[in-house]
Amino acid sequence: MVSTVNMTVQIGSLKMRNPVTTGSGTFGFGSETKDLVPLDRLGAVTVKATTRERRLGNPPQRIVETASGILNAIGLQNGGIDDYLANKAPYLRCFDCPIIVNVPGENPDDFAYVVERLTAAGAADAVELNISCPNVSHGLDYATDPQLAASVVAAVRKVTSMPVIAKLSPNVTDIRVIAKACEDAGADALSMINTVVGTAIDPRKRKFRLANITGGLSGPAVKPIALLAVWRCYNTVKIPIIGMGGIACPLDAIEFMLAGATAVACGTGNFVDPTLSLEVIDGIEKYCVENGFADVNALIGAVTAA
Amino acid sequence: MIKKEAAQVVSVTPLSAPRHFVLTMTSAHLASHSRPGHFIAVAADTGSAILRKPFSVYTVNPDVGEISILFSVYGPTTTAMSRMLPGDSIDVLGPLGGRIFDPEPIKGIHHILVGGGYGVPPLNYLAKTIRASAPDAMVTVIIGARTANLLVGDDGLLDAGVEVIYCTDDGSAGVQGRVTDALLPLLKSDSRVYTCGPTPMMKAVGELSEAHGVDCQVSLETFMPCGVGICVGCVVKMRDGVFSRTCTDGPVYPGCEVAW
Repeated sequence: MVSTVNMTVQIGSLKMRNPVTTGSGTFGFGSETKDLVPLDRLGAVTVKATTRERRLGNPPQRIVETASGILNAIGLQNGGIDDYLANKAPYLRCFDCPIIVNVPGENPDDFAYVVERLTAAGAADAVELNISCPNVSHGLDYATDPQLAASVVAAVRKVTSMPVIAKLSPNVTDIRVIAKACEDAGADALSMINTVVGTAIDPRKRKFRLANITGGLSGPAVKPIALLAVWRCYNTVKIPIIGMGGIACPLDAIEFMLAGATAVACGTGNFVDPTLSLEVIDGIEKYCVENGFADVNALIGAVTAA
Repeated sequence: MIKKEAAQVVSVTPLSAPRHFVLTMTSAHLASHSRPGHFIAVAADTGSAILRKPFSVYTVNPDVGEISILFSVYGPTTTAMSRMLPGDSIDVLGPLGGRIFDPEPIKGIHHILVGGGYGVPPLNYLAKTIRASAPDAMVTVIIGARTANLLVGDDGLLDAGVEVIYCTDDGSAGVQGRVTDALLPLLKSDSRVYTCGPTPMMKAVGELSEAHGVDCQVSLETFMPCGVGICVGCVVKMRDGVFSRTCTDGPVYPGCEVAW
């Protein structure tokens, strides 16, 4: 089949050949699954969080399985920006695939420092500000307060011309307030949702199942929460949204686009099937063909009342 | 090379141990690329349990393109596996594992393999591999269990010329006692130990070997959500303080590297 569907989407100045990327922390740094996923087929690759300093992460148990999902408390284990620039970016740059680097931080300076290094080295094509990781101290705070969220976006905005994507938390009363604050502070796009904070208990041992006690819930269990967040923000901000949360098949991704997402990320689904992104790309295209859409962008926000 | 495929079930055979099965499947890829210590990850349509589950490779028959795994029914995935029929499709990813057993079948070495529970199957494969590559190699497999009918994974070892020592907690088969009781008198300067099984057992075997200056390779069993190194959920702490991914940095480690 020769495709006549335009699959190209735009996240700020970042052009993606199709709307599919990977959820940060669910696809490593791209090389782990090289036997299974040719990176140049993805719309973009979003790599694992990269911090200012190396982080050892949380002690195990780090992941437990819950109904239709998992709880994780990895704790941002990574080698730090020096390791990323020396050992990860060169591999990623071998492919014709935009790189989105997820950047957490404990204060606006941390975020700005890492983004500045990435910008100077040309080692990313966009940055995703992880203002919402529930597994590290201070991580969540930034995404639960509009002023704090804006302060991080503004600090990063000053040091880069790359697209700045703010990753939002669902663990708030009204996500639209945070979305608007990030847009006003200069964010080029939003990604949502990060994980839903929760816990699990082993009743036989009478112990928490995660060493960290709390973890972030992801997988199909959170999809309804994520879809509503995307739809609400789509109706609140003008900047594009990368939708994620429980995508396990192409039609899940279609739902996110109909709710208002310009692009989507496969996350926990990669753990079940590392080739999920490829299946989703093909499935979106097939859906467009079968439903008479010549441009995938026509799906964005196209949901109507029941 | 890791491949995701729909393998075909050849047989699902119940063992005398309650709720234990051997599942044999057709996969030319797995049969030609699996080495001792490799594992595969199985996805079954189980409703709310979404993750794949890892299983060590038990037997390999490259001539007919078949491999087998040994499992006990524990949760939804293994329940579904126990009900599979010949001809059914089984969704597998593999072979997985970064660092696997390094048998180095050097002449004069006494290879001592110490296993318990589902830790025995990969050692069975290792024992046969060592014997096949070095027919005069001395190989002893020590298999431990609580009681006689839980001793699993010894299929074909005697035929392969491997010495097998059984240990049971209650003395219902073999030597009454722990695997370390059987291991201790065998440890010599020319020994090399390989172990797989419950963590407390591997810790005891690793520490005993280390105390006698004997190299010990341990194949760690953890909950592996992805099996390919991307989730970073299956980590164990190493003595240098680093959390290591057992799926791709292991699952086999020198015992002296693990912070038990």
